[in-house]
Amino acid sequence: MAVGGWVCLLAPLVGFLAILLAGTRITRRQAGLVSTASVFVGFAGAVYAFVDALGRDPEDRVELTTAWTWFKAGDFVVELQLLIDPLSIVMMLIVTGIGGLIVAYSNGYMAGEDEERRYFAYMAFFVFAMLMLVQGGNLLLLLVGWGLVGLASYLLIGFYHDRRSAVEAAKKAFVVNAVGDAIMALGFFLLIFHVGSLDYGVVFGAAESGELSDTVVTLVALGLLGGAVAKSAQIPFHTWLPDAMEGPTPVSALIHAATMVTAGVYLICRTHPVFEAAPEVQHLAAILGLVTLLVAGVVALVQWDIKRVIAYSTMSQIGYMFVGAGIGAYGFAMFHLFTHAFFKALLFLTAGLVIHRLDGEQDIRKMGGLRARMPYTHATFLIGTLALVGIPIFAGFWSKDAILAAALADGGALGWTLYVGGLLGALLTAMYSFRLYFIVFHGTSAPEPESEGHDEHAHHGEGSRWMTITVGVLALGATFAGLLQIPGVWEPFDTWLEPVLEPLVTPSTAQEWGTSAIAVTIGVIGIAVAWRAFKAGRELVPDGAVRTTLEHKFWFDELYDAVFSRPAQALAVRLRDNVETPVVQGGLDEVAEGTLDAASLTSRAQSGLLRTYALAITVTVSVLALVFLVVR
Amino acid sequence: MLGPDVPWYLVVSAILFAIGIAGVLLRRSPLIVLLSLEIMLNASNLAFVGFSRLFGELDGQIFALAVMAVAASEVCVGLGLIVAMARRNLALDVDRFTELKG
Repeated sequence: MAVGGWVCLLAPLVGFLAILLAGTRITRRQAGLVSTASVFVGFAGAVYAFVDALGRDPEDRVELTTAWTWFKAGDFVVELQLLIDPLSIVMMLIVTGIGGLIVAYSNGYMAGEDEERRYFAYMAFFVFAMLMLVQGGNLLLLLVGWGLVGLASYLLIGFYHDRRSAVEAAKKAFVVNAVGDAIMALGFFLLIFHVGSLDYGVVFGAAESGELSDTVVTLVALGLLGGAVAKSAQIPFHTWLPDAMEGPTPVSALIHAATMVTAGVYLICRTHPVFEAAPEVQHLAAILGLVTLLVAGVVALVQWDIKRVIAYSTMSQIGYMFVGAGIGAYGFAMFHLFTHAFFKALLFLTAGLVIHRLDGEQDIRKMGGLRARMPYTHATFLIGTLALVGIPIFAGFWSKDAILAAALADGGALGWTLYVGGLLGALLTAMYSFRLYFIVFHGTSAPEPESEGHDEHAHHGEGSRWMTITVGVLALGATFAGLLQIPGVWEPFDTWLEPVLEPLVTPSTAQEWGTSAIAVTIGVIGIAVAWRAFKAGRELVPDGAVRTTLEHKFWFDELYDAVFSRPAQALAVRLRDNVETPVVQGGLDEVAEGTLDAASLTSRAQSGLLRTYALAITVTVSVLALVFLVVR
Repeated sequence: MLGPDVPWYLVVSAILFAIGIAGVLLRRSPLIVLLSLEIMLNASNLAFVGFSRLFGELDGQIFALAVMAVAASEVCVGLGLIVAMARRNLALDVDRFTELKG
């Protein structure tokens, strides 16, 4: 297991360094191949670890492997160690498997771009960082990975660095994530102060034994939640994700849908003993998830950018995962993470096919009737949409309904709120995703864009083989991945995670199937609503105050601008005018002027007359000699 | 011990050194300045040898030899410079060379 873990972690790093060091000695194509190969080697490592673990007893599947002691400060020791257990193996498989497919897809999608080597190096680097996050054997290594994926995300969102909006989106993502990182780090400081260690075992032991006071546990859990919410783009730290769509589409698929944004869910599952010791915080996570899934769902109803619609649906689906993790249905949350990785990557990559075909067009008002021209894309996109809406047998059906059933089983005011809210979210999901599907693939054809000789072959067929094959694999996954968990029949996914993630609630089989029946009915109603609106040629949300609010995404950006950004800028300007210029700059100027004055004074003594110098030396030596004589 | 006591040597050395300083400070001809420098160096040599005798060790005498070598090289360079100046018809006056003033 340990060997597989190390191979999995280091292969993408080697790929990244190889591309970085090779520079222009390898062609762009080769850089893409190196990157793809390194991620797939990582996948092989993950599979090896998985198979190895499968052959062991369930209690024996946790392995902590230490490379060396990273640093020591008194009693506080941090070791460079990997934790390979069923949870991290699931994440490793998702990150390298889906990641490998997306990097392979990029070989086709990015062909003809400038600076592909940089792109592929960053992609390999991201996969390494994400693996560091999920495999790190203690909280500090997790924080290292946490920071590195933020960096990779920043670099890739800003990949088109000559586009101002991309640079600003990258900056926004980085700043919001940095706020989350800082909150999380504060939680870690508290842990170091009160527990003296960041090892999972020690921290969880302290949380479970009640050794820490309630206040401390609550604050630590809040710190972890802050980090999770920022990374996973949940309210109130969600504003960066829609803007992050400025990056290349495969980046959106890999980082902002399938892997990085789900890190928050992973974090809650990984540190569940801490959250269980602070149930209010855990419930807060569920409530934030619910609010996000509803807000993102309604905002998605009015968006016109194909990628932004999918981005909001990502936020909304991660909201479901937070709901699951927040009520203690960790296995279901992870299962939704798993299936979501397939169908969301699929949706983004098929959107990439559409965008590629239309020469970079992302506005759905300029699309339409693509079903006839791109049958393959149409079929795969439909699979992704059905999986997202939760229509049987597609993947989302099994995982989303399981979370809702768990909310029902949890009961109480919270459970029922989450249940009803989640069902409402399912309705919204069906409406916005089928609105997108109908507008893009049905109706009248949009004119084919003018082909100006550039990248000629892109307009024939539906994309290169790299792209169509990976999309096909993901479509298979989005169709069948859900079958790993059929309520009452077999539940290998849950059984696999059971040793690490003991769920707090387990819905009965009747609750699961009942919820599924309701959710599917609601989904079909949503589809019907979207279809009727599309047929009648009207929007789902009529013009008016509501629509304006939605188009402004509930004024979050404006609010943050007014509350944080503008005061901060005003303060900065003030400080520059009143402190920087007079004190710092002025002080330096005065030091410089003083030095000059002193120099011109002393330079007057330098007459150039040799004999004066000789006299000065003589007098000085005589005086010194006298002084020595007298003093002695 | 033959000859006068060691302190007398030191007195002579001090007188010679004072003469040298006076020459450097008062005369303007580079040639004389160079000459005065030589006198000062030899004054120090005399002091070295005197002390060497006083303590009965040879270190001082060896150092005196080193000083002679330095003095010889210095004369070479110094005289060379003076000859070069004379050839260019420059005034042989140390007070006229003030390019290095601040």
